[in-house]
Formats: sequence, C-alpha cells, structure tokens
Amino acid sequence: MTTEGAPRFFGARVPRRQDDRLLRGDGRYVADINPAGVLAAKFVRSHEAHATVASLDIEAAAAAESVKAVFVGEDFAGTEMRCVSSYLGFQESAQPILAVDRVRHVGEALAMVVADNEYLAEDASELVVAHLDPLPTVVDIDTALDAGCAPLHPGWQHNAFVRRQIETYGFGDTCSAAPHRVSIELHNGRHSGIPMENRACVAEHDPGTGRFRLHTTTQIPHLVRAGLSWALGVPESLIQVIAPDVGGGFGVKAQLYPEEVACCLAARRLGRPVKWVEDRREHFVAAHHSREHRHTVTGYFDDDGTILALEADIAVDMGAYSVFPWTATMDGGMAMGILPGPYRIREYSVASTSVCTNKTPYGAYRGVARPAACFSIERLLDQIARHLGVDRVEIRNRNLLSEGDYPWRSPSGLVYDSGSLLESLDAVLELGDHEGLLKRQADARAAGRLVGVGLAVFTEQTAHTTQEFKQRGVPIVFGYETAKVRLDASGTAVVSASIHDHGQGLETTLAQVAADRLGLDLEQIRVEYGDTEQVAYGAGTFASRSAVLAGGAVTKAADAVADTLRLVAAHILEAAPEDMVVESGRVSVAGSPNQFLNTSELCRLIYQRPERLPEGVEPCLEASRTYDAHPGTGAYTNAAHLASVEIDPLTGKSRVLSYAVVEDCGPMINPTIVEGQIFGGVAQGIGTALFEEFLYDQAGQPLSTTFADYLVPVMSDIPDFRVAHLQTPSPHTIGGLKGMGEGGAIAPGAVIASAVEDALSHLGTVTVNRLPLTPERVLGYIDAANGSGASS
Amino acid sequence: MKPPRFAYHAPRTLPELLETLNETADEAVVLAGGQSLLPMLNLRLAAPSHVIDLGRVPGLDSIASTNGSVEVGAMVTHYRMETDAVVAASVPLARRAAGYVGYRAIRNRGTVGGSVAHADPAAEWPIVLLALDGEVGLASVRGWRSITAEDFFESVYTTAKRPDEIVTSLRFSTRCAHRWGFSEFQRRTGDFATVAVAVACAVEAGEICEARVAIAGVADRPVRCREAEAALVGGSATAAADAAEAASDSVDPISDIHGSSAFRKRLVHAETLRAARQAFSANEAGARDG
Ligand SMILES: Cc1cc2nc3c(=O)[nH]c(=O)nc-3n(C[C@H](O)[C@H](O)[C@H](O)COP(=O)(O)OP(=O)(O)OC[C@H]3O[C@@H](n4cnc5c(N)ncnc54)[C@H](O)[C@@H]3O)c2cc1C
Repeated sequence: MTTEGAPRFFGARVPRRQDDRLLRGDGRYVADINPAGVLAAKFVRSHEAHATVASLDIEAAAAAESVKAVFVGEDFAGTEMRCVSSYLGFQESAQPILAVDRVRHVGEALAMVVADNEYLAEDASELVVAHLDPLPTVVDIDTALDAGCAPLHPGWQHNAFVRRQIETYGFGDTCSAAPHRVSIELHNGRHSGIPMENRACVAEHDPGTGRFRLHTTTQIPHLVRAGLSWALGVPESLIQVIAPDVGGGFGVKAQLYPEEVACCLAARRLGRPVKWVEDRREHFVAAHHSREHRHTVTGYFDDDGTILALEADIAVDMGAYSVFPWTATMDGGMAMGILPGPYRIREYSVASTSVCTNKTPYGAYRGVARPAACFSIERLLDQIARHLGVDRVEIRNRNLLSEGDYPWRSPSGLVYDSGSLLESLDAVLELGDHEGLLKRQADARAAGRLVGVGLAVFTEQTAHTTQEFKQRGVPIVFGYETAKVRLDASGTAVVSASIHDHGQGLETTLAQVAADRLGLDLEQIRVEYGDTEQVAYGAGTFASRSAVLAGGAVTKAADAVADTLRLVAAHILEAAPEDMVVESGRVSVAGSPNQFLNTSELCRLIYQRPERLPEGVEPCLEASRTYDAHPGTGAYTNAAHLASVEIDPLTGKSRVLSYAVVEDCGPMINPTIVEGQIFGGVAQGIGTALFEEFLYDQAGQPLSTTFADYLVPVMSDIPDFRVAHLQTPSPHTIGGLKGMGEGGAIAPGAVIASAVEDALSHLGTVTVNRLPLTPERVLGYIDAANGSGASS
Repeated sequence: MKPPRFAYHAPRTLPELLETLNETADEAVVLAGGQSLLPMLNLRLAAPSHVIDLGRVPGLDSIASTNGSVEVGAMVTHYRMETDAVVAASVPLARRAAGYVGYRAIRNRGTVGGSVAHADPAAEWPIVLLALDGEVGLASVRGWRSITAEDFFESVYTTAKRPDEIVTSLRFSTRCAHRWGFSEFQRRTGDFATVAVAVACAVEAGEICEARVAIAGVADRPVRCREAEAALVGGSATAAADAAEAASDSVDPISDIHGSSAFRKRLVHAETLRAARQAFSANEAGARDG
C-alpha cells in the first residue's frame, strides 16, 4: 500500500533543526543535570603505569570537609568489567572498577572521593596517598611480544589478547610466480577522537523500587544499559540510561566505562545521586585511546603493476584492557578485513595481533582501523607506482574494482555490494584541479619551494549488521536499530529511535524521512532519542550506520502508521485503502484530490471517535519497527581524496593548501549534512596526518596530557575545501542509503603522506611511513631525500 | 581541574592594592588577564591563598611615547599592542610580535605585564623587551624601581620581581626600533612559539651600528645572542646567514615532545635567518609568516 508522490524532504538541504538550540546555549548536557541532593565524585588515579598497590591512605580524605565517602577497590571488588571475544585463543582481561591489587596504566582509578561539590571532592582527593610499588612497564609492541616479557594479566601465556591469521589458498603459488614485490612498514600514532565535551554521568538509585537511572554522555544508551545490567547483576527493567545532548563522541563515547559503574554503585551505597564530570587531564589518560597500528605490507605485482597478492602483518597496541562492547580484537580484525581496500586483489595472507601494554585502553575512533588500512594500502600503491615508474593515478586505474566486479568478494571474505571507484577518482582529479596542481607544483619547484600532490581512494563498509558482527566474536551482535513512530490526536508525530545524534544531524534527517512517509511538515515531527525507555533496544550511533538503519526503521514504522491512516480514511471516504494517498497533510483518494481528510482531523477521529473506525482497526497510531539492512554484510561507500601540501624546507612544517573529496554514499537524505560530516571528518584526518599523538616515555608516563602538548588541528590548519557527490545506491538498503559518518576521516593520513613524499620526490627517494607528520619527522625526510644524512 | 580555595580581593586604587599585596605577599598572586594564571590554578600548579585582581586599579593601561622610548602600562592587552597607533609608529617590532601571542580571544584579555611577570621562556614579550633594550617598572609599598630586561628574567617562571611587587609598566627603547625583524615557529597559529627570534638594529648613516638578537624557546629564559649581533653589524652580504649560523651554534636547547635539541637548533637557524632578512629588507617586514 504505497502510492506516495515524490518525496518533499528526502534529498533537500534542510537546515539542521538542532543548531538553533545548541548554538544559543539551550542544549542540555549531563553537566547541566542536577537532581536534588546530588553529590560530586572525583577519582584518584594511578601515577604509575604498572605497579602493585601496596596501600592507600584514605583517612585524611575521608575526614575532609563535606566528604561523604572514599571508595577503594575492595568496596567494589565484586564488580569488574570483562569484554570477552569468542575468538579461539582470546585471553581475557578483568578491568576493576577501582584498582584492587594492581594498576596497569597511568590514569587507572584507585579511589573515588564523594563530597558535596567538585571543588571539595578535588581538595579531598589530593589527600589520598597511594603507595604503589612499580613493576616493569611495557609501553611498546615489540617489548610486549618479546618472549621474555612477563604477561600483564594473571593466567596469560603472552601479551597478545589474540592473534589471528588468514590466507587464501593460492597465495603461496601466486607470490612465487610474481615478478615484483615491494614492502613497507607503516606506523600510525596513538590518538583519539577528543570530543569537546568530556565524559560525564549522574547516577541515581531509588531504594524503594531498586531502580537505577543513569544520565551519561554516551553514543550507545542501550548497550550501556546492557553492560550495566551485567556488571551490577540487575535486570535491564530496573535500569534507565539517558544520554541527553552529547558534545561529540567520535567513538570515544561508544563504550561502557568503569566510572559509570562506579557512580551507580556509589549512588546505591550512599542513597544520593552521584555526579562525575571528567576533566580534560583525566580524559587524556582515562578515556580510551585509538589508532596505534603498525603494519608491514608487501605487494606482489606483475610488470604492468597489476597486484597479484597482498601480504600483511598487523599489530595494534590495545593498551591495558579489553573494553565493552568491542573487545580488544576490533581494530586488528577490521584492518585485516579491509586492508585489500578498493583493489582487485585475489590472494591475501594476513596476521593480526592485538597487543596488551601498560597504556590507556583502546577503543573506537571514527573510521576504526580503516585510516590505518587506507594508509597502508595507499602508501603501498604509491611505492608500486614508483617501483615501475608508473603514474600514481594510472596504477590505481589498473587495479581499482570496476562496475562489472560487483558484488565483489574480497580475499578477506567481505562482500562489497556496489561502488563507483574509477568514477570517483576521475571526478576528484577534475574537482581538485589535478592538472593545475601539477603546474603550480612545477612553478613552486622552480622557485625552490616544496609542494606536493597526494591522493587516495578507498571503499568503506558501512551499516553492516548481523552477518558481519556475528563473525567478529563480540558479546553483543549489533544487528539492527529500532524506531517507534506515534501520531497523536493533533496530527503531529513523535519519532523515537535507538540511535543518538551528537553531531550527525539525525534529529533533522530522521524527521525528513518521517515527514515524507507521513505526508507531514517537518515542524510536525519531533525526533527523540537517547533514553532507553523510548524504544525497546538498539545498538546506538557508531560505524556509519544510523541514517541507514534508523532511517530504515523509521520508514518501516511510519509506513505502518500511515497504513492505519489509509484504512480509516478509506472507510470514511468509502474508497479502497490501496487508493489512498498520504501527502501534504491530507489523506486523499488517488485521482480525486477533492476527496480527502486532513491528517490532523483523521488522527483526532481515530483517537477520540473510536465509533468511526472500521471493524478490526484499533485506535492506535503507533508502531515500533526494527531494521537490519539484510543481508547485513554492509553497504559500501567509496571516495577519492586529492590534496596539495606545501612544506617549509627550513623547518619541515607542512601546510595543506587544498583538499578535494568526491564521495559516494548513495542517495543523500540531506546533502548539507553529508558535507558537514565530510568536512568534520577531513579536519580530524588532518589531525591524524599532521598533529595528534599520545606520546609516552619508557616508564609509561603519558607526555601529552594537556591541549598544549596534544595538538588538534585548528581552523587555520583547514585548507580550501571542495566536495562533490556521486550517488550509487546500495542494493541492500531501504532507499539505497549508505553510511557516511566516518568516511572523511579515513583518507587524509594517506593523502597527506602521499603529498609530502611527492613534494620531496625531486630531491631524492624517501618513503613516508609514519604519522603524524610532525615538522621534525618531515625535516628528517627532507634530510634523507637530500642524502645529507644529517637527519635530526 | 578546579582551583583550590582562595580569597579574592578587588582593590580600587594602587596604594590599596600594594597594601593588600604587602600584607599577603607570600601567599598571594595578582590577577591580570588570567590567561596564564587561571590554567595554573585549575591545574593546581599554583595554590595561592589570596588572589588580588588588578582589573579595577586605574592608571595601569596607558601607552605613552616619551623621548627615546615608549612606556606601556602593565595592564595593556596584547590586542592593544597589535592595534595602537603609537606602538605601530614607534616600536613596530612590538606591534608585529603582538600578533603572535595566542589567538584573538587570548590577546583580548592577556596583558603585557602578565606576560613578563609570568616569564614563560617561549613568550614573545620578553624577547621584544630584550631586543628593544627595555626595562620593567615595578612598584611596592616600599616605592618604585626599574630594572633592565637583561636582569629581570632569571629562569622559567622566575624573575627579579619580589613577592610584594607588581609590574607597573614596560619601557621599550626606540634606539633600535627602526630596523627590525621578527620570526617564529609555532606548530599551529596561536600556539606558544617553539622558537621565536626578535632582531632590532640601530642605524647610523645607513649602516647598522648596533644589533640586538633575542631568542625565545631555547633556554630557561629569553637569551640574547652576541655572536649573531656581531654578524649583523655592518650588514655584509652574508650577514643574515652568518647570524643564523652563529645563533644556531650558540644555543643548547632542551629536547622534549615538541622537538629535539637538534631540531630546535635548526629552528633557531631558520627563524634567525628570516628575522635578520626582514631587518635588512628595510623598515616594513612584509606579511606575517610563521
Ligand atoms: C591558549 C593560550 C595560548 C597562549 N599563547 C601564548 C603565546 O603564544 N605567547 C605568549 O606569550 N603567551 C601566550 N599565552 C599566555 C598569554 O599571553 C597570557 O596573557 C600571559 O602569559 C599572561 O598575561 P595575563 O594578563 O593573562 O596574566 P595572568 O594570567 O593574570 O597572570 C600571569 C602571572 O603573572 C602575574 N602577574 C600578572 N600581571 C602582573 C603584574 N602586573 N605584576 C606582577 N605580576 C603579575 C600573575 O600573578 C601570574 O602569576 C597563551 C595563553 C593561552 C591560554
């Protein structure tokens, strides 16, 4: 029963409806939530990277002004966090809520001080004295994996959470027959999403009913509820999780953290709400890190540059614990899967190791492992091009998948559904004025300046669900999202969804989808999310899935409600339900536009005049639906990026001069929002490429714990920027949608590295293989290219 | 990152201020623009019992050109230094350097007095003061004194200012104000310098007869480099390169996550070269680079 006209809102550049509220300071974040009697928590954190906890002196803190309690490990000893993968050989880690006998990274919580306000809590926290006996620290992959290195967790055999390996049958023979090979080792700096709002939560417990309510700044309220239920041993019906406005997530907030559990436990013990607002210094050492991959990749290819086989060794520094709900296998597994990228590579051998070290635990960050995978394969393509003396564009054209290859089963077993790789590369050369860039590069070189051009192409699995996640060995399979649509007696709608909007614009795009399906105006749709009481279940917002899955669920739920409108209207208008058109605030008879009911009138009748309903139709305009984008193997987006970079030859400082993106995320609900996501992603990718890195010394002390030491790109680092779109629909999803939240962040590291290498190519041969490209590192490359050997 | 408890004072006159400071000196800090002090309090790197606000004390924010020098009140903001006509005309090096201090929001609140009192070894004002043969004016209940820039900066965050004193003014000499250069390496626009170099020269009969080269970011305090200065005097064809070489050779910077010692020496070379070339390319040093 669908006889809609053309959509009014799908595809329109509707302004983001949440911006007015957020820009005026009318947003409501966790820090704004102050239930009566709320207390403030402050965590005392380990200053040692690895130590046994000899003792904690808490008397002075407990006696300090207004302090209600000082909790230590034993107080919460029955509760710990494990996130276990079902992969063979996975070694489990138990992360305590507060350290009991051992600490495994600087920043691990030792004690929790609860006082009347955060000033007094911080004062008292300084009175806690931790006696820690240092143990040998493990701060890098090689040390951790050395056979002589003591395992960091009890009962472990070695310091890998897991090692995995896959190899295609023909790999060995293909390699031996290949006429050429090149290898490259690549290093990605440890960094993270750095949301503007730090973590925060407010826990309440009602002793009368036993109910918990947790306001927390999270991307995944339902999964936080699931994790809390396991950790606390309390059924989900007694736990409500609410994520109000969230000031950025980027993956950092797609996790259950020990502090959230601690606040719940403390609230239950004290019978008062307990609030914790993280400060930035804590965030740098206790909110999860990401991105630290080391890859060794070898390409085997024939004389014309056709890649015959790919070999890779992947190691990811996962820090001290396996985190919920991802497990410590996530990045290594993703990299294994997507490393062959957009190329027609059939033979593949890969080993992947998730390494345990004395660093802050590791979780998701926009793009999860794909920035590193893209960096590796794209750097490899550039090396192959150089080896054969073939142009970098040409080598890609020879190897990229083309239309006839889809669906493509990659050698790692992923099924790429669709794409426009060659077209996107072509288009970005045009959009980014490749010819002009090369000309300007030649002019700059003649004047003694260092200017380079870089490019990268990638494909990205998005909106993958059951089929994909069941293979990943995670404890919860992220299979679907849920949406509920309710029309009220005024004819306005509330759309509730299991996703969360913290910058993605879903509050707007889901309204666009619902408005079209219900034939209403945008103003008549309210979108709500973030409260586990609103819809039954769902995973939340991460992995470029929300517009596809929640969009699909909203479509299904809205259609179900619209069907009830059709049934009732057809009854009243004495027409056939299948002839009813739901459009522009009316339900009318197809072909007879004068025969209609106003939707608002119809809604009022349905709720308030049940005697007018046809037999068997319930007075209910509410439907809840889930959507899983069957078969769940993912909708593949693709993009090509092109940039130019200038390097100061005296200082090694790189500046991105221009940046162009042609991306294909299928049909766009709202191009303005798509572009905003691309801009933001590329800006973060520039951070990956040039700035961001958590550095540690050999004792495991973090060296980047303020914004003066951990550099994020600022406005003046963002270049002139162009973006254009191709729209190849996915055959798997409602509306052909593909996810696009992460894509912008995937390629910049590869693109900028390629440009830096290109900028030095006339001086000599260097291989740019380490991110971020700090001025000092680039100066080292310049020296190497000049063959001066005077590298600093 | 919440400050510890302190008492806040907002005196209305200079004598009242100096009196309050005198009574609380060892446990007090004065508050100017707050751009360095508030982070220090929030990070609990400073835990004073008393914070005395300079904001309501009149008379600390004038800019005056006198014979041979420009006197700038301690509470003059970086932004005013960037935009003031007297500064632009008399000490253009100071105007140029002001634009490198933080970014606009910081420059709107931060003050020159706060910067020199804070004495961050990477800050701009200390090297401008050194290059322009400046002095720092100090006041306390005991009276007023003036001290040369050379003697004022002692170490990281440490100066010759006594706890009961405040900085009232900076005095820049105009003797070397008209041939100048300023160049700095910052990772991002608005960051503290990794290395910054100020060059100021006096000219007689078209010849550079005196040169002053001051460098930030290479030691525990701003430093002058006499070898580089000697290379600039007379202005030979290779003077800028010689000065850069001499400057780089003369420093022995620390290594940290923002750069190794060897890297910083290269930066000193690069920025001295650029600053010296600006000084040679006559009075206007062209567009801001860095
Ligand atoms: C993000 C950021 C970037 C920055 N970048 C730069 C930069 O690139 N270059 C740079 O130089 N600075 C930079 N700063 C610091 C800024 O310039 C400060 O303004 C300056 O260092 C201190 O001036 P203030 O007026 O804010 O002093 P406050 O922060 O109020 O005080 C700083 C210290 O000086 C003392 N003090 C202040 N005024 C007086 C006085 N008149 N007499 C005696 N003692 C006094 C205070 O007691 C305190 O100890 C940056 C700051 C921030 C937050």
